[in-house]
Amino acid sequence: MFYVRYLRNELVRRRTRTIVTLLGLGIGVALVIVISGLSSGLDHAQRKTLDPLAGIGTDLTVTLAPQQDQGGFAGPGGGGGNRDLVQANLSVVTDLSKLGKPGRHFVHDFFLPGTQLTFQQTAAKQIAAIPGVAQVTQGLTLLAEHQEGIVPKIVATTKTGGQTFSFNRNLPRPTAAQFQAMQACFQKLNPQGSANGGGGTRSGGFGSRSGRGGSFGAGRGAFAKCLPKSLQRVRTRFTTPRQTLRQVLNPPQTNIKTTAYTIGGVDQTHPSMGVVTTSQVTKGRFLAASGGREALIAVTYAAKHSLQVGSKLDLNGTSFTVVGLVSPPLGGQSADVYLPLKQLQTLAKQTGLANVVLVRAESGKNVASVKQAIETALPRAQVASSKDVADKIRGSLVDASNLSHDLGLALSIIAAAAAFLLAALLALSSIGKRVRELGTLKALGWTQRMVVRQIAGESLAQGLLGGIFGIVIGVAACLAVGVVGPSLSASSTTGGGNLLGLGAETARTATSSVSLDAPVGLAVLAIGFGLALLGGLIAGTAGALRAARLRPADALRQVE
Amino acid sequence: MAALYKLVNVAKFFQRGPTTVRALDRVDLEIEAGEFVALEGPSGSGKTTLLQLLGALDRPSGGDIWFEGRDLIDLPDRELAELRLRSFGFVFQQFNLIPTLTAVENVEAKLVPAGGSRERALRLLDEVGLAARADHLPAHLSGGEQQRVAIARALSVEPRVVLADEPTGNLDSATGGEIIDLLWNLAADHGSTVVVATHDAELAARAPRRIAVRDGRLAAQPQPAAL
Repeated sequence: MFYVRYLRNELVRRRTRTIVTLLGLGIGVALVIVISGLSSGLDHAQRKTLDPLAGIGTDLTVTLAPQQDQGGFAGPGGGGGNRDLVQANLSVVTDLSKLGKPGRHFVHDFFLPGTQLTFQQTAAKQIAAIPGVAQVTQGLTLLAEHQEGIVPKIVATTKTGGQTFSFNRNLPRPTAAQFQAMQACFQKLNPQGSANGGGGTRSGGFGSRSGRGGSFGAGRGAFAKCLPKSLQRVRTRFTTPRQTLRQVLNPPQTNIKTTAYTIGGVDQTHPSMGVVTTSQVTKGRFLAASGGREALIAVTYAAKHSLQVGSKLDLNGTSFTVVGLVSPPLGGQSADVYLPLKQLQTLAKQTGLANVVLVRAESGKNVASVKQAIETALPRAQVASSKDVADKIRGSLVDASNLSHDLGLALSIIAAAAAFLLAALLALSSIGKRVRELGTLKALGWTQRMVVRQIAGESLAQGLLGGIFGIVIGVAACLAVGVVGPSLSASSTTGGGNLLGLGAETARTATSSVSLDAPVGLAVLAIGFGLALLGGLIAGTAGALRAARLRPADALRQVE
Repeated sequence: MAALYKLVNVAKFFQRGPTTVRALDRVDLEIEAGEFVALEGPSGSGKTTLLQLLGALDRPSGGDIWFEGRDLIDLPDRELAELRLRSFGFVFQQFNLIPTLTAVENVEAKLVPAGGSRERALRLLDEVGLAARADHLPAHLSGGEQQRVAIARALSVEPRVVLADEPTGNLDSATGGEIIDLLWNLAADHGSTVVVATHDAELAARAPRRIAVRDGRLAAQPQPAAL
């Protein structure tokens, strides 16, 4: 067929022009495909990650809000107010002297309630009784501080005592009264001397008869007794007692490392509802109903610490076997490590306490009313719905998703418009260069319709090829995105607001990383292809209109 | 017998900015079927414009152009295109071959819309001595060869008239002579009337009938020589 050969020749023999047009259209179509693929990939990632409660089979989570006012919640275990929060979290202070002998390697995990104060498990029963509540389960999500290192040499031994002190000082002169008492005392001891002495006839007093050892020597101790108290120990020596002091050095030199993670206690008897559920198990299995020493690990945490199914987890001397990996949705209740609730309560010395109640409403319609009912029944309860939790999630995923929502459509339109404009401009410029050729065709007897059909056919063929080219590039780019899988993170921080110095520690940040893919739907391909054809048509129409306006004589007069 | 062409008081004006250019003015002309006519004149004299009016490539500003008893002024564009396709064959100074088409395809460009076949296109190329170069692109042909392709194209539909505008203008004199001979012989073989516009006096001298065009007017009209 001559016209088809002519068309093919135009495309093949004007190679540069064809390639530029195909590139323009192809890139436009590819952009539309990639942007739409990324957009739906982001939507998908967002749904997976940002729908925090649906994944755990829950409509509402109930926690105990740290507030100043008291009461309302059944038997608060941690009390209320910042003071209590601080107290509840104080146990992280490590008594280094109790870790063991210096030089020994130690591992210790502390479990703190963070900002979610604990309460008695009976609270769950109270919530379960509220009309409209279908099912209730509870969990204990704690902040764990993992410390590991060598017990430092923290005790210094100091020996004290053994020094001798001497006193040597002048005695005070006895008072008149003391003197008389002394004399009376002496007289009692030595009546003879007293009879003789009398009024001082025998000068020298009691010292004058020193030559006579006998009676005086025997009376010497008694003599001392006659001295007043203040003169009795005029000369003394004493030795301080010997003591060994053990003193804690501050700060101790050590290599202790502290890492924080979150740990959740799961009611393993409700595998479809809880802080983690069977549906989030990506590898291995869920916790056995018996509640033995088993653990589930979040995928991200497992990757960071090279843990896998079958690994052992040593928590304060108790060994837990990792039985499964889970990818929990983000939100207030996600954790890195999950244990059966009872095991965690024992480990954290929080027996009988929980800090979150998960509530499933009887139907989606009465979620709001149930939320209100819980808030009324338990004034201190913090009731969060799926949306509340999702709103707190931040991170590149959310940013990218918002960006794609805001800009994705606009970008697609701009890309497509740019591609079509380029194609139309190229078609027009090509017509401009072919005016004489088109004039010749008219001189040969081609009708208007034949010329327009030929030009439009060329543009349409370019649109077709551009569309195929664009689909190839677009799909390849989407596949590349899937293979590379750029990771977007989303994190949810709960608490940590104005908790004095503890803020940083009690704020729990759960981060989930999602690797992005760009799924390509048939509809998108069809749209991309359609857009390229449309671009070809627009270009063809523009070119053909210009060709149609040419008068053959004018066209022939045109100098090439 | 009525003339093939009968032009009565034909004028063609062009607007070039503020001035009106009289390309043709008060032209009266008759051409009989089978004539070989040379339109002589320098560049800008109006001979190309006259040729375009004769070939229905343009419409006159005034007057009537009768072709085979029909006034071209009254015909719609579609019928003018039909006339160009089946009744006229053009040969241009610049050859005007489609650069992306081979020699045979260039002949087909006129032949196919008129319902002709590739075989006929090849036969025409054979007649102009280019059978061996049928699959060459214009860029790979010499000027003379390109003009031969153009002549084959013009004659492919057995047109009533071949209109040639400076057909040797881009060729050396030897090649130009060959082209004129070819045109003369083939037109005779195919029974076509030929109108050639040229400023080459030597070429014009070979035509049985010469018409001088000066400033849009037909200056002299020598009697047709015996064929």
